Parts: sequence; C-alpha cells; structure tokens
Amino acid sequence: MASLWKENHALVLIVVGVLAWLVPGGGHFALNERRRAGIIFVAVVLTFLVRLYVGSIGVIDPVGATPWYAAQVMNSPAVLVLGSHVAGAQARAKRLGDPMLAYPVYGRPNEIGQIYTSIAGLLNLLCIVNAIYMAHLRVLKG
Amino acid sequence: MDMTVPSDMLLASFAAPMQIDTSPLSVLWLLPLVAAISVVYKATKVHKIQPWPFIKESAVLFGSILVFILLAALILYVLAWVVTEQIPNLARQFEV
Repeated sequence: MASLWKENHALVLIVVGVLAWLVPGGGHFALNERRRAGIIFVAVVLTFLVRLYVGSIGVIDPVGATPWYAAQVMNSPAVLVLGSHVAGAQARAKRLGDPMLAYPVYGRPNEIGQIYTSIAGLLNLLCIVNAIYMAHLRVLKG
Repeated sequence: MDMTVPSDMLLASFAAPMQIDTSPLSVLWLLPLVAAISVVYKATKVHKIQPWPFIKESAVLFGSILVFILLAALILYVLAWVVTEQIPNLARQFEV
C-alpha cells in the first residue's frame, strides 16, 4: 500500500482532494481519520443546511452573486446542481414575467444565507487543503 | 401511498426564506457560525482528536473569536460616537 501510494503520489493527492470536495470530510475518511471526518462532515453540512433553510435555495445565485457562488460551490458538487436549478428558475421567471418563480430572497435572510453558506464552503476548502496535506505527509513518510 | 409528498415538503421548506427582523437580536445568528468555524478549524489543527481536549480547545477558540468581535464592535461604536456626536459638537463650539 505504501509503495503504491509513493508511485502514484499526484494521483493519491487528487483522489483525496476530490473525495474531500464530493463529501465534506470524505478526504479525511479515506485517510482513516474517522473522527476528524465525522466532525468535519457534521459541522460543514449542518452549517450549510441551516443557512440554506434560513435563506432558501435562492441564496445560491450563480448569475447575480457569482463570487459568493464560487465559495458556495466549495461545499460540494451538489451546489452546482442547486445553482443550475436556481439559474433555470430565474430564466423561466424572466420569460414568464413572474418574479416569484425565481426564489426571491432579500434583506437579512439573504445576508445570513448567502454569507454563511459561503463561509461553510470556505471551511470545507480548508478541510480539502488539510486532507491533501495529510495525504502528502503520509506519502512522504511511506 | 404517494412517496413524493415528504420529499416535496422537504424541498418546499428550502424554497422560501425565513422571516428575520433587522433587530439587534439577529446578530445572535453569528454564534452557531463561530461555533462551526472553531470546531472545523480545530479539527484540522489538532494532532489527535480526543473528546475532552478537543472540546476544550474549540471552546477556547470560540471564546477568543467572540472577545475579538466584541472588541471590534466596541471600537467601531466609539468611533461612530466620536464622528457623529463629538466632532459636530466641537465644530459648533468653534463656530460660536
């Protein structure tokens, strides 16, 4: 296993990074850091879902709030699906002239939802980088 | 039995935002976020995760972040007080 890791150093790092992005804590889980993975999963997913409940899926706005969206995508690729759904709803709302179809959200719920889901994404980015670094150290140790 | 009803209800609960007033109490929404930041940051930093030391370290970080936020709020409050009340008063005195 150790020699296999050493031979495919870059591949291991990429796989760990992708796993960590697919599911928060997934990278640490793959490195057999179960407790760490569980804590990261619960903290990131709970933060993201609670804020999404507060602000509705309208806070995931790939068209009108692209920088926030970039941070939100760091939570998981599932955000890309939500983003395309919201973008589709916005286009449909524009076509039909009914703004209520575009998941409108304003004021404090918008602030809390958008900023906090983005912070959850940035926390997951920290975990992705940490998982890759841990994998790198293990490959070096052999 | 229609199995789509619970999933529809679940999706519907994420389709409309909550009502949150712009009141001083709404700042308390900050607390769970600070807790999440403390826990995740410590989960990436501690060498080995053991329940009691981990909770202790996370609690210390949580407290530190809160203290710094309160300090920043206090400094901004004093700054706003000086700019909006003290400086106009001084200006009025010089006019007289």
